[in-house]
Amino acid sequence: MVTAMLLTNAWSSPKLPRSVAKLFSALAMGLVITAAAHSASAQTFNRTFSVAPETSELEVVNQMGTIKVTAGSSAARIVINAKQLDANTKIDAAQHAQGKVKVEVTGLGAVDLEVAVPASSNIDLLAYKGSITVTNVAGTVRARITDGNIQFTGLRSPRVEAHSTKGNVSFSGEVLPSGSYTLKSYSGRVDATLPANSDFKLSAASYRGGMDLGGFQMKFEKQTDQLVEASYGAGRASVHLWTQEGSIHLHRKP
Amino acid sequence: MECRAVRNSLSDYLDGQSIWMSDGEVRSVETHLVSCPACRNLKIELSEIRTAARELPLHTPPRAMWTRLSNMIEAEIAAENAPARQTQASSGWWSWLKSRRFTFSLPQLAGAGALAVALIVAGISGIFGTNSTTLNLTGAQSALLPEEDEIKADLERRMAAINARKVKWNPQVRAEFEQHMAKIEESLKQCRQMLQSNPKDAVHQQMVRALYNEKRQFLEDVERLKW
Repeated sequence: MVTAMLLTNAWSSPKLPRSVAKLFSALAMGLVITAAAHSASAQTFNRTFSVAPETSELEVVNQMGTIKVTAGSSAARIVINAKQLDANTKIDAAQHAQGKVKVEVTGLGAVDLEVAVPASSNIDLLAYKGSITVTNVAGTVRARITDGNIQFTGLRSPRVEAHSTKGNVSFSGEVLPSGSYTLKSYSGRVDATLPANSDFKLSAASYRGGMDLGGFQMKFEKQTDQLVEASYGAGRASVHLWTQEGSIHLHRKP
Repeated sequence: MECRAVRNSLSDYLDGQSIWMSDGEVRSVETHLVSCPACRNLKIELSEIRTAARELPLHTPPRAMWTRLSNMIEAEIAAENAPARQTQASSGWWSWLKSRRFTFSLPQLAGAGALAVALIVAGISGIFGTNSTTLNLTGAQSALLPEEDEIKADLERRMAAINARKVKWNPQVRAEFEQHMAKIEESLKQCRQMLQSNPKDAVHQQMVRALYNEKRQFLEDVERLKW
């Protein structure tokens, strides 16, 4: 749209020859029509489910596109907003008898999903291509993607699992005393940003990419170029980082 | 109930208990399955073969193909047995084969079914020019981890189910899947080689385990994505 406006402005410039101005005008119109057609072809899908905050559970299976899950303002509702960018896809959203909400996309096309959940929700996300973002959730979180990045921000979860086959994985959040945090990528980079006052046992392995364990003064039990087993503080939580081809970066959050 | 009896009843059990078996028989099979891992595994494998076979596209071979096959078999048998069995040459081996009645046990049928599925998949993959992913890189080698045989059996089972479905996938997705699998296989091969040269190397033991896990999870994801 910005390009179209620039082209329209250029058309109105008195310095341009008339034929060039006409060409710009045609291009601008074309761009406007294309943009309008694109926005018209994207279908929206909105659904809201009532849930009990203490047992709230969400499962999302998406083929291609983004999945964004955020702890919303409501403690008793799961709100789904999806943008269907391809007519070949079908979105199903249903609530099981136990209260679990499942969103499933079938058909190979792009769907962008935004879901607001109660902070205490347990979450299980799977996508083939695109990206997964989870923010401010305090329940257990499991996310898997074949081709794309996974980003966890502001989590306060007792159990976290993230795995990307071909993409980066990053985690930033609290480390609860008996929590378990597993971040894996086959060929991408793994980043974990943990509070300075954390208390964990680390197992990190990178076959090719190397490791940067940041500012944590750890007690090493095993330390090679490819594998590190160490503990920080009393070592109560378990942090497991793995990548075959990528690098590992552990950051200390002050 | 003994394993043999359960194995003979498994096909009926999977076909729909209420139709083919009495309630008592169904209960006996279910009780046995709870306590017998071998029969339980067989039940899982049979279910997967049935599911995979159900999802295969139906291809009816042309009538001429059967005629050609029967002619070839008859010609070959006739050539081999010409001096000894000249009197029977006119009736033919194929006619004899058609006149026989056969009975097969469930494991034989299951094996034949698995073989048929594998042959169909291999044939179709060959026709469409796709590379069927196999576990050949590590399959023929001896176990380097105590649990390796079990892991490989599990992966082969998953892979067979996926290979049977793969012909229906979008070609691009199929190519990407093959590419991911090939990469993991290559890494696994390298790590196994390192481990083979030093079997007590804890780092490579862990790497091999992680790669098997990576492969299992990838296959699990593909199953969940229902391509």
